[in-house]
Amino acid sequence: MRERSWAALPAVVLAVVAATQIVMTEVQMLSPWKGGGFGMFSTLDERPFRYVRMFVRAPERSEELAVPPSLEDLAASAEILPSDRQLERLARAVVAREHRRGQPADQVRIDVWRVEFAPGSLAPRDHLLRRYEFRAAP
Amino acid sequence: MGPWFVRAPLLLLSMLGLISGAWLRAPAVWLSLAVLVAVRVFVEWPLPDNHIYLLAYWCLGVAMALRFADPASQLARTSRLLLGLVFAFAVLWKAALSPDYRDGRFFAVTLLTDDRFSDVVQLIGGLTDAQLRENREYLTPLPEGAELLAPPVLHAPPRFRLLVLVATWGTLAIEALAAGLWLAPLTRRLLVARHAVILLFCLTTYAFAPVAGFGWLVIVLALVTCLPDDRLLRALYIATYAMVLLYSEVPWASLALSGLG
Repeated sequence: MRERSWAALPAVVLAVVAATQIVMTEVQMLSPWKGGGFGMFSTLDERPFRYVRMFVRAPERSEELAVPPSLEDLAASAEILPSDRQLERLARAVVAREHRRGQPADQVRIDVWRVEFAPGSLAPRDHLLRRYEFRAAP
Repeated sequence: MGPWFVRAPLLLLSMLGLISGAWLRAPAVWLSLAVLVAVRVFVEWPLPDNHIYLLAYWCLGVAMALRFADPASQLARTSRLLLGLVFAFAVLWKAALSPDYRDGRFFAVTLLTDDRFSDVVQLIGGLTDAQLRENREYLTPLPEGAELLAPPVLHAPPRFRLLVLVATWGTLAIEALAAGLWLAPLTRRLLVARHAVILLFCLTTYAFAPVAGFGWLVIVLALVTCLPDDRLLRALYIATYAMVLLYSEVPWASLALSGLG
C-alpha cells in the first residue's frame, strides 16, 4: 500500500464510525452528541433534555425511584442510547440494588423522555421516547 | 481517562514517551495508546465524548507515520484529513441533520439553561440574574395537564437574540470554512488561511465552550502540519494552546461581570 493511503487510514476509520453514528441516531435513537459522529453542540437532543424515570413494582409495592448515584452512569447510557441492551442493564442493576437493600422488586419500568422546545416560543413539552418493561426472574 | 486497566498503562506509556525519545518514536507505543483509548471507548460506550474517538485516530495515525521514512509529512497528511472530516461532520450535523440548530433553538436554550454559560449570558446577552432564573422556570416543562396561575415569561432582549444569532451562524460559518480549507488541496498562499481559521476557531469558541480538551487536540493536529520554517505559526499555536488553558481555568466572564457590577 502506498504511503499516502496509510496516512488516510485513520480518516477512513473516522468517516466509517461517524457514518455509523448517523445511522444509529435514526435507528436506535442514539443522541447525536455521542458515538463519534461529531454532532456535539448541534442539537438539544441530549442530556439533560433526555431523562429516565424508573418505576419498581412488586406485591404491595409500586413506586417511582430517583436515580441513585451508583446507577448514574447506567442511567446516562440509557438516556443517550435507549436500546434494549442499555435499558436491560439499567433495569437489572435497579433490581439488584433493591434486593441488596432488602426491598422487593419484581418488575421495573423505565421511561426515557425527551424535552422538546417549540420553534420561536421555546415552549417546552415532554415527549416519551421509549418505554421498557423488565420482569425479574423469580 | 477511563477505567484503571486503561488509565494506568496509558499514564505509564505517556510517561515513558516524555522521558525517552526512543519510546516517543516507537510505533508500538503509539499503537498501544490507540488501542487503550479505543478500549476505553468500547468499555464506556456510549458515554465517551467525540474527542476521545479523535484521540484514538490520532494515536493510530502517529503509530503508522512512524513506520515511514518521513513521519512528519505522513503525519501532516493524516492530521489534515482528520481535521477536515471532524469539521465536515460537525457542519453536516448543524446545517443538515439538526433543525433545532438552524432556527436558533439550540443556542437559545443552551445559553439559558447551562450554568456554565450564565455569566456570558448576563455579560453579553444583557439578561439579569432574575430574568435568567425566570427563563429557566419557563423552560422547565410542567407535568402533563398542569397549568400555572401565573406562568413565567421568556425574557429575550435584543442583545440576547443577537448573541444567539452570532453564536449559531458564526459557529457554522467558521466550521464550514475550516472543513473546506482543510479538505481541499491548497496552494502555499492559502495554507495561511487554513491555519488562520483554526486559530480563530480556538480563540473564539473555547472562550465560551467548556471543552478545552477538544481544543487542545485540534491545536496539536493543526500544529503538526506546520512546515519546519513556520516558526511564527508554531509560536501562535503554542500561544493559542495556552490561551485555551487560561479560558478553562480563569472565570473571565464572571470576573468581568463582577467588575461591571
